[in-house]
Amino acid sequence: MPWKQGYTISDEKSLADGEVRWPDGKRCAIHIVVDLSVARGAEGIGPRDLASPAAQFGLNDGLDLLLDALARQALRATFAVPAVLAECYPDRVKEIVRLGHEVAAHGFKHEDVSALSRDEEKARIALATELLGAISGVRPAGWFALPRQKDAFAGGAISANTMGLLLEAGYDYMGNGLADDLPHYWVTDFASRQAILTLPYYYHFDDQFFCLFPTEGTGLENPDALLRNWRAELDAQYRRGRFFGITLHPQHIGWCHRLAGLEEFLGGLAGRALWNPTGVELARYWMAAYPAARSLKLAPSIWQDYPGSLS
Amino acid sequence: MSDSRSADRLGAELAELKAAAAHNGGRIRRLDGLRWPRGARIAVNITVDFDAMLLRRLNNEPPMELAKGEFGGRVGIWRLLELFEAHAIKATIFTPGRICELYPEALRAAVAGGHELADHMWEHRVPKEPSLARDHLLKTAAALKAIGGRRPVGSRSHYPAALLREEGFIYNSHGAPSHRPYYVLDERGRPLVLELPFHFAIDDAMFFSFAWYRSGNAGQRLADTDRVFDLWLAAFQQQYRQAGYLNICLHPFVSGRALRIAMLDRLIAAMKASPGVWFASCEEVARHCLAAHPAGAPAAAAASPSGA
Repeated sequence: MPWKQGYTISDEKSLADGEVRWPDGKRCAIHIVVDLSVARGAEGIGPRDLASPAAQFGLNDGLDLLLDALARQALRATFAVPAVLAECYPDRVKEIVRLGHEVAAHGFKHEDVSALSRDEEKARIALATELLGAISGVRPAGWFALPRQKDAFAGGAISANTMGLLLEAGYDYMGNGLADDLPHYWVTDFASRQAILTLPYYYHFDDQFFCLFPTEGTGLENPDALLRNWRAELDAQYRRGRFFGITLHPQHIGWCHRLAGLEEFLGGLAGRALWNPTGVELARYWMAAYPAARSLKLAPSIWQDYPGSLS
Repeated sequence: MSDSRSADRLGAELAELKAAAAHNGGRIRRLDGLRWPRGARIAVNITVDFDAMLLRRLNNEPPMELAKGEFGGRVGIWRLLELFEAHAIKATIFTPGRICELYPEALRAAVAGGHELADHMWEHRVPKEPSLARDHLLKTAAALKAIGGRRPVGSRSHYPAALLREEGFIYNSHGAPSHRPYYVLDERGRPLVLELPFHFAIDDAMFFSFAWYRSGNAGQRLADTDRVFDLWLAAFQQQYRQAGYLNICLHPFVSGRALRIAMLDRLIAAMKASPGVWFASCEEVARHCLAAHPAGAPAAAAASPSGA
């Protein structure tokens, strides 16, 4: 069997803290991702999702409040936008771009692609890329496959073909991976060392799993635990000089006390030597500073097949 | 149905339950009056289950779940080793044999740091077929010996205790019928292996790993580190007061996250603030127990529900 496929997606060891450098002598990077999807199921956004009170709040009042909160702290974010949502709310997407944020792709309709044929998935990536580029004015450079509140696993769904298709379609980065807490290379072909840069995501820093919605997610209201997680991780990663990322949903974080908590957290960032890039800025910096050709260390595999054990 | 037939059936049920209780009670022997070396007031085993993505793979979980486990090999294990070194603590790394092919560099670093490598099955399962189970156990022992230079003497697994004993293992760290070390006995009451008990309440994944053991979204495992710090310190203090034992189970893909390393750093410092805390590898604790309470010695005060 080739390399350790089916087990690992990258090299054996991450960069040590001391090897990480950020632009302008900054100590740590902070990446804010805003997920605009309102999909509740694996099939992606449907008419009923758009009709929900949460969706209507999230795409209107909630988004206004979140954009204001970011602007007050002069922070920029990467918005993960399903293509169908950009078609339905083009003015909102244009406003996000006008305010200096990045618009990245979040699937055609934030659907689960894991069972699609390669051709079907390829066609959807092409269509989503075209639609988002036409509305935002810039071809998206990043692609996300974030989880939904009801997903059995909180990592987001991709197929075996997704990463390779994103490379083919010219994407600079994939926005949510779990194998590291730094940007890292997701190897799609070990023989040719082809890889796509993947930005870190972790569900313990994603608001949707801490905010009550009785029949979805946890059904429990824990935004205080979310805030403690954010503070603890930021402190620890800042000391290490690494990276910190949070994922926000306007329909969740925009509400009352949750918004107050977010504003308090964002207000506390001032005074720290943080670099706040959008996804594409982060990805392009990383690929220049730590190119795969130099930093990806794919040791020759000692992996073997044995009778009586999994390949 | 007649009253007598009903009474017969209930009587049979009762007899079956009494037999089961007697059987179970006869299969463990507590080490009464166990004391720790050099007057230590508590023994603490920090144990690391280094499965990375192997269990996710075994359960056929989707790609991002495997990547979540991969964090443990790329990042988490290294941070745990640094943490242990900073506190001069020797830990036990329960390692599936397959990990030797995935993360040999980290395992060599663990050995160089003086930590114990122990068995955690070949690919995180115990095959039902006895010959394949033995094959997996021996493959793992050989793989760990190739890296660590010595054969493992401990396991965290569901392997039958008789098999572990036959293959030279002295302890398992899996059961929880007692919160202190105890012997697992065979059908005739003879000790097979020592158990260093482990409890899910002192297991990081139970608090921090979404979808662990197939828990649904409502059975959320999204605790923050302050809460777990408080719970685990309380567990330590409770055991400290009674000259007890604490086995802290960490997974590199869970506890290797920066916020949790910071919490563990605080927790270890808080434990060290009390005098007489013996931080040891599982092997050290097991060898102490075996020497202080030899398996061959008569079970002077062996406790069982029937008092046998």
